[in-house]
Amino acid sequence: MGKTVLSVENLSTFYKTDKGISRAVENVSFTVEEGEILGLIGESGCGKSTVAQSILRLIEYPGKVVKGKVFLHDKELISASEAALYDIRWREISVIPQSAMNALNPVHRIGEQIMEAILIHEHVSKKEALARTKVLLELVGIDRDRWKSYPHEFSGGMKQRVAIAMALACYPKMIISDESTTGLDVLTQSQVIALLKDLQRKMNLSIILISHDLPMVTSISDKIAIMYAGKLVEWASTDDILNDSRHPYSRALLDATPDLVNRDKKIVSIPGTVPNLVNIKSCCRFHTRCPFAFERCKVEEPEFKEVKPGHFAACFLEEENHELTYTS
Amino acid sequence: MSLPTLLEVVNLKKTFVRRSGSFLRPKKTDVYAVNNVSFSIKKGEILGIIGESGCGKTTTVRMIMRLMNESNGKILFNGQNLCGLSDEKTTKVRKDMQMIFQDPYDTLNPGMRIVDILMEPLHAHKPNMTKEEKYQKVKEITEAIELIPAEDFLHRFPHQLSGGQRQRIAIARAVILEPSFIAADEPTSMLDVSVRAGILNLLLDLREKMGLTMLFITHDLSTASYMCDRIAVMYQGSIVEIGETQKIIDFPTHPYTKALVSVVKDLNFFIENRETMILDGEVDSTKKTSGCAFVSRCPHQEAICHNVVPSLEQIDEVQSVACHCFGGLKMEISKRDGALV
Repeated sequence: MGKTVLSVENLSTFYKTDKGISRAVENVSFTVEEGEILGLIGESGCGKSTVAQSILRLIEYPGKVVKGKVFLHDKELISASEAALYDIRWREISVIPQSAMNALNPVHRIGEQIMEAILIHEHVSKKEALARTKVLLELVGIDRDRWKSYPHEFSGGMKQRVAIAMALACYPKMIISDESTTGLDVLTQSQVIALLKDLQRKMNLSIILISHDLPMVTSISDKIAIMYAGKLVEWASTDDILNDSRHPYSRALLDATPDLVNRDKKIVSIPGTVPNLVNIKSCCRFHTRCPFAFERCKVEEPEFKEVKPGHFAACFLEEENHELTYTS
Repeated sequence: MSLPTLLEVVNLKKTFVRRSGSFLRPKKTDVYAVNNVSFSIKKGEILGIIGESGCGKTTTVRMIMRLMNESNGKILFNGQNLCGLSDEKTTKVRKDMQMIFQDPYDTLNPGMRIVDILMEPLHAHKPNMTKEEKYQKVKEITEAIELIPAEDFLHRFPHQLSGGQRQRIAIARAVILEPSFIAADEPTSMLDVSVRAGILNLLLDLREKMGLTMLFITHDLSTASYMCDRIAVMYQGSIVEIGETQKIIDFPTHPYTKALVSVVKDLNFFIENRETMILDGEVDSTKKTSGCAFVSRCPHQEAICHNVVPSLEQIDEVQSVACHCFGGLKMEISKRDGALV
């Protein structure tokens, strides 16, 4: 067990809407250790990105972090002042945004954009900043002389690399990658994933990899956390998620993914739709779509707790000792 | 293979003109979006076309569906050449070939109720049906796509449906005329995993029930392997490999297919001793080489690759490949030398 870098405790972020309070993220807890890659998986609208934004304190009105603590090493982020956050963002934790194409400023050279981040956050000369920019570009596999290029001169995959170089600008220990490979072609995606893995090894980075692509995440992550409708339903090692998952949603997600090798596997969709999170009552949020749901699931919220060492799940079946076997 | 051929595409080409240069000295260059594509689909078969974005998958389908004119080539549907048909005749053919589009949020008219959306093809192609018959048909088809009870859905507007339900309506609209051929252009790429499985199974189900023949476009090899009997791999406007799904996955021959399969297999956690082949470089469709389009990214290139365009050649009954060095020997050597990472 390595040192814990990031620890999220009972994080809740709500959005104010015309119809009431939307409980977008509720009671999410997990930790990330040094040099670990955590995959955060869920369908669109389940609150993955809200978790990332809450950790970085980027939530804006009408959203608000209403509860919980986030510790980065021993610093608490939720109650930290803006000035304190200024020192933490980029230097200790940074984010690779969802679409690199829109994250880069089209009218500035990419080198200048990376330098800007370095100059704002660290007291170094322009010359040093430029030198570091070149090193960073090389690190992500781009020719060092291309710092003079503008974003439009790069292809999608290259822009993604630039965005990664930018996130690494102040050598943070922790990176959050928010769907950073979504929208790239499979082969380009594999290049970016290989790069992330390589950097993680070289720099002993901790990475939170947010994605909806289960096969991609399982191939690179040490641990996986699965979210459904604003709540964490399961958090365990990749191996446990795949072979010994304890939540029906995780199982259903695996069953819905086609398998290239085992072509005979019949994929099964999850019936129903995600519940509306506005004014949602206390219940297991998956109960409307769960094949095992019983009375208790409709009135009580299952606690997110350890079912075996290092393996957390939020399901009553675990308490009732139900066998989680599919008959369909 | 005694089944009759339903659709045959022969040397299909599409060029777009790219304008560059200054205002005073304009320069025009031809960009080949689709270059000499030939394939055939037998009755009842699902052929998948996979490839990266911009490789010409959608352009090919749009030409087959007559939503776009070809630059050159032939499209034979039931033996009839669709190229150069008058609009009137094309309309008649359309009754028998329908398309499912990628984005269920864009393809349904937001101002129309579901029942009207589904009635429209009937109004256009079945003028003899009475109103009651049409309504009955719409109800039947809505139930066939598993939106039950149909009455609950028919009078809604598209915005009142989820993405998966919308895609089902789009499928219903395509099959309501009972066509023999359906072209599905990435029907699940906009949908969540949990919903995607349902749509794929529905398509397989409809094929079973209605004897549909399908052209299935996707960029996802796993989806293609689940859906298709045969797969054609496209790269920069040409088919580089075509064959039975199992063969393509187990014995990919073209280096591009190899890379694609190895990457997708690499994403599969359960496979051990993976050999991943990560390709360098990016696609650049504006550069026109006189040889193989893949040459700049290919791990094994010979002089001939730079000069001669490889043609699609049959290597056994079920698989064809367009590569100068598919001999196998060369691949083995480079594998040992570590060209495959």
